[in-house]
Amino acid sequence: MLKLILKQSSILVFFWMISGALFAQDKVERELRVEEKEVPKEAKDWLYDAFETSKRPKWYQEIFESGYSYEAKFKLKGKFYSVEFDSWGLIQDVEIEIDFKELPKEVQAGLEDYLLDGYKSSDIKRIQIQYSGKPDDLEDFFDENSQEGILTRFEIEFIGPDETGSSQLFEGLFSEKGSLIFKRKIVLVPSENLVY
Amino acid sequence: MRKFYLTSLLVLLSLVTSFAQDRQFFTGFFPEAALTKIIKNDQKIIFKIEHQDIFYNNSGDQKDELQFTHYRTDLMGFYDFKLNPTKSIAFGVFHRIQEGANANRIIQQFAAVNRLRRLKLAHRFRTDQTFTKGDPLEIRLRYRLATEIPLSGSTLDPGEHYLVLSNEPIFSLQGGEFEIENRLVFSLGKLIASSQKLEWSLDYRTDKFIQEGFRTRLWAKVGYFYSF
Repeated sequence: MLKLILKQSSILVFFWMISGALFAQDKVERELRVEEKEVPKEAKDWLYDAFETSKRPKWYQEIFESGYSYEAKFKLKGKFYSVEFDSWGLIQDVEIEIDFKELPKEVQAGLEDYLLDGYKSSDIKRIQIQYSGKPDDLEDFFDENSQEGILTRFEIEFIGPDETGSSQLFEGLFSEKGSLIFKRKIVLVPSENLVY
Repeated sequence: MRKFYLTSLLVLLSLVTSFAQDRQFFTGFFPEAALTKIIKNDQKIIFKIEHQDIFYNNSGDQKDELQFTHYRTDLMGFYDFKLNPTKSIAFGVFHRIQEGANANRIIQQFAAVNRLRRLKLAHRFRTDQTFTKGDPLEIRLRYRLATEIPLSGSTLDPGEHYLVLSNEPIFSLQGGEFEIENRLVFSLGKLIASSQKLEWSLDYRTDKFIQEGFRTRLWAKVGYFYSF
């Protein structure tokens, strides 16, 4: 009797799973890989002018509820670059991954002050230096090292306490002087499939 | 998707023909489902059911016959506590329904899930103790390494597919005898919504490396994972 129930229930579970896959949909924000030919010409022109030695980047389209943007990702001289453009192909910012020891001393101190007692170096998960400004200023910065009109900030992923004291993963934007401008909690996709 | 099914079928057939010759081998269907209830930010309870039906067995009463035989059903519950956003410990209880081999188990687990630039890497360390009527206590030590790779973009978003590759060696000690098992799993998954995942997998298990009777099992799995 038990065997019969188990056999029937396994068939039901199977069809239930298949039907769930066919009908369930919930897409709000997505990042999609796109081909270079789908990217606005302005974005490609800016990228190849600013990074003349760059190898062919990987292009992504980020889709939000209110619109979309483009992002080019590539590795240059051992560093990972991420360059964001709006939907028209206008440059927004350039982010470069760096190590903690490459952070200016003021920013290191600011981050340590912010994280206070529970701070461990392993709590810093990812650091990107972010450059933004007018397209021409940014291009001059990357190909001629001109600092004019460039705003430098640091985007840092770190483990820190939330308002209840519980430890969470955050993305914080820090100023050139090391003060926190804003932070948001990073919502992770569940990983039960990897752990259970 | 068609390529995935064709490749899976070819892998299945080649494994069946190569291993069914001179070793104990069986294969079948293995649905599993896990429900996760988040109690607080850092605590959750997981209930999981795994069910295995044999379609083909090269030994036993129905040797070499196509069949639909219930093998086992496992019910388990875990209490999971986050040490930080990437590391957790868990304690679990487990009950197995299997003809002549019903069993109970207690489980202790440490897991770390790291987000790398384009994938997730998960380490899982487990110890467990299994109590089966008439058998000595079985103590096991397990380590599973799993990686999840998004197939669209560098992050996994709702509606997108992903691959999971995992391998888990299991070391056991029962009645003074040492044994090793290995589980290799290849999965294609879909993040249906931000809290739901569906996976189709091939799960290839080998055991009795030390004792007599080397055995292989190949399962076609369908897994559903839901958090609320």
